Amino acid sequence: MEQPLKGILDSYTKEDSHYDEVFKESGEPKEHYQRIVERFNQYSVADFERINNEVKAAFFNQGITFAVYSEDKKPDERIFPFDLFPRIIPGREWSQLENGVIQRNRAINLFLDDLYHKKKILKDKVVPADLIFSSKNYLKEMVDFTPAGGIYTHISGTDLIKHTDGKYYILEDNLRCPSGVSYVLSNRLALKKSFFDLFTKLQTKTIYQYPEQLLEILKTVKPKNTEVPTIVVVTPGMYNSAYFEHSFLAQKMGIPLVEGRDLFVDRNFVYMKTIHGPTRVDVIYRRVDDEFIDPLCFRKDSMLGVPGLMNAYRAGNVTLANAPGTGVADDKAVYHYVPDIIKYYLNEEPILNNVLTYHCDKEEDCRYVLENIDKLVVKPVDESGGYGITIGTSLTKAEIEEVKVRIKSNPRKYIAQPIMSLSVHATFIEETKEFEPRHIDLRTFCLMGKESAYILKGGLTRVALKKGNLIVNSSQGGGSKDTWVLD
Amino acid sequence: MLSRVANNLYWMGRYIERAEHFARYSRVLYFSTLDAPILKTYDRKFVLESILYMAGIFDMEEISEKEVLLKIGLELQNSNSILSNITFARENARGARNAISTDLWEAINKYYHLARNYPQDTYLTTGFYDFTMMIQDQTSILSSKIYGTLMHDGEWAIILIGMYIERVIQIIRIINSKLHDIYKIEQAGHTVTEMSFEWTTLLRCVEAFDMNRKFYREIPDREQVLEFLMLNPHCPRSIAYALNGIRRYEEKISRNERKDSNTIGFNIGKLVEQYRYLSFDEYKDDIYGLLNRTHDKVTQIGSEFEKKYLSF
Repeated sequence: MEQPLKGILDSYTKEDSHYDEVFKESGEPKEHYQRIVERFNQYSVADFERINNEVKAAFFNQGITFAVYSEDKKPDERIFPFDLFPRIIPGREWSQLENGVIQRNRAINLFLDDLYHKKKILKDKVVPADLIFSSKNYLKEMVDFTPAGGIYTHISGTDLIKHTDGKYYILEDNLRCPSGVSYVLSNRLALKKSFFDLFTKLQTKTIYQYPEQLLEILKTVKPKNTEVPTIVVVTPGMYNSAYFEHSFLAQKMGIPLVEGRDLFVDRNFVYMKTIHGPTRVDVIYRRVDDEFIDPLCFRKDSMLGVPGLMNAYRAGNVTLANAPGTGVADDKAVYHYVPDIIKYYLNEEPILNNVLTYHCDKEEDCRYVLENIDKLVVKPVDESGGYGITIGTSLTKAEIEEVKVRIKSNPRKYIAQPIMSLSVHATFIEETKEFEPRHIDLRTFCLMGKESAYILKGGLTRVALKKGNLIVNSSQGGGSKDTWVLD
Repeated sequence: MLSRVANNLYWMGRYIERAEHFARYSRVLYFSTLDAPILKTYDRKFVLESILYMAGIFDMEEISEKEVLLKIGLELQNSNSILSNITFARENARGARNAISTDLWEAINKYYHLARNYPQDTYLTTGFYDFTMMIQDQTSILSSKIYGTLMHDGEWAIILIGMYIERVIQIIRIINSKLHDIYKIEQAGHTVTEMSFEWTTLLRCVEAFDMNRKFYREIPDREQVLEFLMLNPHCPRSIAYALNGIRRYEEKISRNERKDSNTIGFNIGKLVEQYRYLSFDEYKDDIYGLLNRTHDKVTQIGSEFEKKYLSF
């Protein structure tokens, strides 16, 4: 009898200590992965490598790259690593996620409004006032000001993981300038070209409305007395690592991509410098951080901002998305209180769980953290991109002592969480030419406008390509996967 | 349209055009002279000097053929090299990424990567022809994307103004450079047939040989070639045609505003009309003078255009 050919996924070795997204304990693929595993098993390694190379070339030509400078000073360009094996989320599972993310962001928006107005939640001692007022992201410039439509977080990126218990947990909220959505759209395009037949079989939810939805959301928060708003995207410039995304979104929305130097403020109105003179700007989707947006208000050395922008904003003549000062709510120290914030404003139980968090500015928590650093993930509260994070199990004794010193010198700056075991997903490893388990998380994208909300049906599945690594951020060598939500 | 973005588009157009002219000139000159009838005159030094002259490099006395090819083709330290021009075109396109179509962006990005990753060894041994033809082919793709995937409005007009300004300048440089060669050959005394080879080479350097043949149906000579490349309003590789292009697209930007004296519209209109009513006999003894005056006027129009629209 003829021996069946060996499929490329047959050599996959499960790791029992982690939740595997694709395979059951028996080694069989889960129901929603069956078709794709069958399909992938029809490929030889050479076929798969060829498709992989074609996709990489397409990304290269699209300009989804970042520059690497070598010693001969010739800039080299690399694509952001992308894995062809998509992460699949069944429809039922997704509904719960979607409801949970929207619930969370609705509550956070009410929380921000309260923090910058009546501060009821602080007076009721649900969230400690010290925690808020000691945050560098709480902006006094936003006090008693209501943004157009009452919206602070027009765009938010909520990061989730799946633990060994198979449940989703919120890892963090990104409420300032979350990035990654352009990769979601580009990844999808790449997979559609390579595995078009799978899409017809699996009925994957589309994600292409995102730029249109974003534009619609931005229109709903136009300043008063504006008929047809002029909307722009503001970028720090083409040397910013997320420039591809900024230009991608502007182009897909059909609106100008401007830099701070293209704008000026005159009598509290914002104008852009066009070939036929000044044109008024009404809504700004800014991808420049708070501290750089207006040198008259924040960092005086900022070359990226627009002098006088905050005055124009406070005068209600221009809308900024996201509103300045939202960073106070995605501070990792505030994260701990989000379930209470949801209950306080919405009178609902949180749909999605937080990861248990220890707060180093609480004496009892701090003591526990200092005694158990080897079992915990310690994170600075005000950093992003995976910077400053330590994972207890990978620290030497000397490093543990160093972390202790850092925490003791500024307990407010640190939180700690049990080492959550991020789920693993079969991922093609170019070095071994085999599929191996790698840790993943999920960034969702939620849009909020005046009386409207939209969540991208999918998201950016980030994958830690280094074996055993739990940090998935691209700045730490992470890659991405397409995320398919099924009907 | 943002002034900064318009500036990017204008320079993108100029660099795309510049790279193509330079690649074509170098290729035609290099290969046509391999079996030229006047082989004596065409020692390799003469050819290489002519290519360097076109590239604006005058200070390379003792230079090998490989060094010349590298300098004009792939050397990023030389801001006039073909690769540098493509790099600048692509950087300008990147700065105006959202103002151009995805198709055009991907075409220009792909073009850059093809040139950037062209193997140096191949280029220096067997690939010079292939490399320079690739530049021409990629430029044709870009032209079709510019015409076919952009709205024919302001952004489009700015790119074309950049391309036509550059075209006038490059055609003038090519004619000047080749006249310089022809002068040297004439001094040595050669037959009409031998000289027709030189005029044919000039036509090929501007990609106008087939058009010229169809138009005159005669062996090319001095009068015929210079008249064709300077005055013919229907040859897309002539100065008159490119000047018309500048005027046509400038009017799209200026929205047909009044042409008071010394406005950009006035100056370009005057130049177009001067060429329209010029005959070869009127300037045959002052070819260099006319070319240089035209070069200066177009450069000045370019500067005024930049000042008025691109530097808010």
